[in-house]
Amino acid sequence: MPPDMAPDAAVEARTPPAAAEAKGRRPVPFRGGTFRPRAIPFAAPLVFLVLIGLWELGSRSGLISPIALPAPSEAIAAMGDLIETGMLWRHLEASLSRLVMGWTIGTVAGIVLGLAIGLFSLARAGLSPVVSALFPIPKIALLPLFIIWFGIGEGSKVATIVFGTFFPTVIATYGGVDSVDRTLIRMGQSFALSPLSIVRKIILPGALPAILSGARISASIAIILLVAAEMIGAEYGIGAYILLAGSLFALDQLIAGVAMLSIIGLTVAWLIGRAERALLDWRT
Amino acid sequence: MLAMLRGAVLALVLIALSPLPALAADDIKVGILRLTSHSPSIIAKAKGYFADEGLNVEFVPFQAAQAMAVGIASRDIDFGMTAISGGLVNLADKGAIKVIGGALMETDDAQGQKILASKAAYDAGLTTPAALAGKRYGVTTAGSSFHYMAHKIADGEGVDRSDVRMVPLQKVPAIIASLKSGQIDAWSIVPNIGNALARGDSVVAIGDVSDYIPNYQVTAVFTSTANVEDNPDLVKRFLAALSKGIDDYNAALVDKTMSEEDTRAIVEMIHEYVYADTPIDKADPRIRAFGMRINPGAALNVESVEDQLNWFKSEGLVPDSVTMDDLVDTSFVDQPS
Repeated sequence: MPPDMAPDAAVEARTPPAAAEAKGRRPVPFRGGTFRPRAIPFAAPLVFLVLIGLWELGSRSGLISPIALPAPSEAIAAMGDLIETGMLWRHLEASLSRLVMGWTIGTVAGIVLGLAIGLFSLARAGLSPVVSALFPIPKIALLPLFIIWFGIGEGSKVATIVFGTFFPTVIATYGGVDSVDRTLIRMGQSFALSPLSIVRKIILPGALPAILSGARISASIAIILLVAAEMIGAEYGIGAYILLAGSLFALDQLIAGVAMLSIIGLTVAWLIGRAERALLDWRT
Repeated sequence: MLAMLRGAVLALVLIALSPLPALAADDIKVGILRLTSHSPSIIAKAKGYFADEGLNVEFVPFQAAQAMAVGIASRDIDFGMTAISGGLVNLADKGAIKVIGGALMETDDAQGQKILASKAAYDAGLTTPAALAGKRYGVTTAGSSFHYMAHKIADGEGVDRSDVRMVPLQKVPAIIASLKSGQIDAWSIVPNIGNALARGDSVVAIGDVSDYIPNYQVTAVFTSTANVEDNPDLVKRFLAALSKGIDDYNAALVDKTMSEEDTRAIVEMIHEYVYADTPIDKADPRIRAFGMRINPGAALNVESVEDQLNWFKSEGLVPDSVTMDDLVDTSFVDQPS
């Protein structure tokens, strides 16, 4: 209430005018429609097209120097070369196998440890500080050590991705377990559910939204780390292709490689979206 | 107090009016790597050769040669000195930079780059470069000077280029770690690093690069195309001062014709930038161990540069359309004698 308003005036303002009351009930418009995202399928492609169109125009007109940024058409031509020579599939195959293997191992191990920390006090007290201590270490800084530990073959590349995805998954998982509604757990206990049942029927489904959004983040981290992972001894792979393009200052190839990473990112996000829809059906 | 102020103002006016050449000094930025091969610029600055040419030099240290080439293309620095890499050629193709002189060169009268084998590979029969077929060769990236050397060595031994497996490891420390642990079989590197590695138990020297690439122009001096076209006089003055630095470097550390006292002074100048985090007594032998010749007068072996350019093209690392004129401006320096 504004301080300068007299108490009587405030009371008056709250009571509806006598005229409105006399007319009976006012029609109330439906206000529930907003704040609910609608699917607008053409919006995203349109934004992409306009951005790329402006970029191409800028390059063609000389506004954007070819040293600063190549025209999108050049990047598309570089992509065309990759498809034509068949190298695209070799690069994709190498990178996707590293991504899938590294992300799967990291995520599964992360969920297991995250659940352990979430469920058992001893694990929480003992291991969560270790996770906090190891999470912020840049995995790229450890590459020389990874060479010695895991060799310059697939081992060090997969390990980089495993380490990168493991820690965020641990944190997302035990955060998810912590945020499960305690009253639901108490209710399960009142109905004499076994601890295993409570974990299976209440805690796991309750933590799943957090675990899946953790998976979104860890998948993106895995793609980011792909370039770092392929710094060591990788002949094929999108990361290796981008590194080579960078060292050759072949900007068209660089942009083509980065675009490929974006496409992988979009695909992964779409897949996780499907998984969310299927697994979180109960949430309506 | 007032008199002092008046005096100061008078002095300032006098300085402003006097036609001293020192005031017309051009500010230039020179990219350096903290390596002994960059000594000539360091010596030229410390001994005032740049100042004599009316150049006010600021050094910009870089971690990698590639970044230096990009720094020149973006006009953040004016001059640089690195190996001729695929990235440098592509930037030259875009009209951003030009090679104007030569620096390190493989010669008969000074030590050169070494070909190394890991102990494990040596024991398994890699005792000469002729046995490179099927072996793993460490390179920083495809299109680096290491890649070029590996192919030229293979050519010299009649080994099929595609039989030598290139392992890109991005950084020299990663290559050293891989070679010591036997995860790659062979590598080639400048003599100070090569000899130091070969003194250990895990690496053996099996040959010299100069046997396969005689008069190999390892590094070159380059600048922006804008400097070459709009300010050739600046380029000439830079190269003149640099040449004096090169002469001191060769006399002190390659031919060793300089007195010990003067040599020590040169080493101390270099130590300001190279191995600066180790005490001078430890750094001194490491600086002296380099010993590769830098071409007097920054002379450029155009033939060697052309061979490298053709190799880049044959590997598909640079467009076929790049010409020597795009890459090199030969008007500033001579051929090495």
